[in-house]
Amino acid sequence: MRLPTERWQLRCVGVATVILSCALLCAQTAKPSESQVEAAYLYNFGKFVTWPSDRVNTSEEFTICVLGKDPFGPVLDETVNGEQIDGKNVRIHRISRVQEIRPCNILFVSSSEEERMPAIIAEAQRTHVLTVSDMPHFAERGGTIGLVNHNDRIRFEVNRVRAEACHLGLSSELLKVAVRVIGGKPAGN
Amino acid sequence: MTSNHTASISTRLTLLNMLVSGVALLLACAGFFTYDQITFRQSLIRTLSAQAQIVGSNSVSAILFNDPQAASGTLSALQSSPNISAAGIFARDGRPLAQYSRNAGEEIRNIPQLDGEKREGYWFRDGSVILIRRIVSEGKPIGFVYLRASLAEIDRRLKRYALIAIGVLLVSLIAANAVSSTFRRSVAQPIIQLAEAAQRFSRDKNYAMRVSPPAEQNEMAVLVNSFNEMLSELQKSHEELEQRVAERTRELVSSNRELEAFSYSVSHDLRGPLDAINGFSYLLMQKLGSETDGQKRELLENIRASSRKMTGLIDDLLNLSRVTSTAMLSETVDLSGIARSIMEELRLSSPDRKVVFTAPGRVDVVGDARLLRILMDNLLRNAWKYTSHHDRALIEFEMTQEGDRTVYSVKDDGSGFDPKAADRLFQPFQRLHSAAEFPGSGVGLATVQRIVRRHGGEVWATGEIEKGATFYFTINSARGYAR
Repeated sequence: MRLPTERWQLRCVGVATVILSCALLCAQTAKPSESQVEAAYLYNFGKFVTWPSDRVNTSEEFTICVLGKDPFGPVLDETVNGEQIDGKNVRIHRISRVQEIRPCNILFVSSSEEERMPAIIAEAQRTHVLTVSDMPHFAERGGTIGLVNHNDRIRFEVNRVRAEACHLGLSSELLKVAVRVIGGKPAGN
Repeated sequence: MTSNHTASISTRLTLLNMLVSGVALLLACAGFFTYDQITFRQSLIRTLSAQAQIVGSNSVSAILFNDPQAASGTLSALQSSPNISAAGIFARDGRPLAQYSRNAGEEIRNIPQLDGEKREGYWFRDGSVILIRRIVSEGKPIGFVYLRASLAEIDRRLKRYALIAIGVLLVSLIAANAVSSTFRRSVAQPIIQLAEAAQRFSRDKNYAMRVSPPAEQNEMAVLVNSFNEMLSELQKSHEELEQRVAERTRELVSSNRELEAFSYSVSHDLRGPLDAINGFSYLLMQKLGSETDGQKRELLENIRASSRKMTGLIDDLLNLSRVTSTAMLSETVDLSGIARSIMEELRLSSPDRKVVFTAPGRVDVVGDARLLRILMDNLLRNAWKYTSHHDRALIEFEMTQEGDRTVYSVKDDGSGFDPKAADRLFQPFQRLHSAAEFPGSGVGLATVQRIVRRHGGEVWATGEIEKGATFYFTINSARGYAR
């Protein structure tokens, strides 16, 4: 892997600079849309959450459900296309009734479902589903992860108390990057 | 000379020791250092790799949820690793998420180009090592960690190695010195003693000396013993030689003495009948009286002349043998005075000759007065004789200084001699002129030579026909007269 000559190195440095600046430019010009970021987050949460073992073993797919009015459109499907979590293919499931959340690992609660919140929370706790939503104060109102706009960026809040009630294990990595953890951040960083 | 040999042998041994140990040490140090460099770099890469792994796995969520603050927090843990000068967490597309540098001016300036998906490796450049490691989530690369570590530790190690090497080198040089001093005792010292002994021997010719052999029974002992044996052999043959020379000398002396006694007695005994012939022919002459028989008278005169000549010859022979056999005295003699008195006698014998004689006022030498008088008498008589055909003659006695020796000379302007025959001059009974031209027995110059030799000097002559002759001699009074 050692670079054989200095000329080669110089060329590499040049190419790297071009690629870097291009990447930075691209990031600025084509900033990902809010729904793109939310879709990616939705998928990435799956990597930092552990479900009770009976749920893990019974399902062959990793299911992300969208309850209510779908705000993502094709973006969510594009984001998870071909991706895996814990070696399982990720599948998107769009549902309209609370009773359908049983096979879901992650449930995105659309803001259209604000009125049905208590039922959804109760059902999620019973079926050990990770609830995520971008509706205001979702985590405070009984949701597990609430997406919030923080300093013009999409961030999230975590309700550890709810996660424990749903028998969900939250990785400290996840808590580390959360803007707010209800129930207290773990000791240390 | 001897001390030079000493220095060269032991110095060379010491230098050799030091050179060998120094080279071995330097080679060993170079080997150790190279090995250390390799293992140090390997362990450095391993450590960096592990650190990158930790940083990477701790920043997965920061990348996935785009949290630069969390990424910076992860990187700030590197403050406890003093060797890491800069670090960075980059998203998959190369976008920097967080950067860290230990000191100002050590920021990440350029990132080595990585080929496509691989995005891993390490590079040594400008006194640092750069390591890049992928950050993987669910088997897919989501970004990479950049770590740069200073290689100053390698320089520090090099310096430490150099110090250790110098220290060990010094110690080993001292050890080499100590070893070589032991070596000097067991090997060089006997050689030096042997060399000194050989030198002393060739200077003093002391056949009795021996070299004490070294305590250990090794090649040096053999060498010393052989040298001693050689010395005893030399001593033996030298003593034999001395003995043989002494024997021969004794034989020679006795036979010489016999010969001299014989010639003396022969000469002496010959004189008796000769005196009788002389006496009776004189009486016969008287008896003839006034008888004027010219023929008888002439015959008688011939007999008398021949017998006189023979008497002279016998006298000369007796003188010659006396010169070699009589004991010598040592006294101060004035050669000039002797020369003047001889010249007086010669003038009286033929008062009609016109000869000018010059001599220094006083020429003192130490020697036997009687022999020196015979010497001067022979030389001056020769000069007188060989100038007799000239109307006027000049005879000079001179003394000149040639270097550290004094040369005496008797010079005449007479008939001289052929220089080619100069070496025959001093042999007895050798004559360069006919008896008719110049009468003589041919013993005079032989006598001169013997006297000069007995006085430890030399005699030689220069001359040319009809241009005179000069006889030179030296008297080595320091050793000559004492015999």
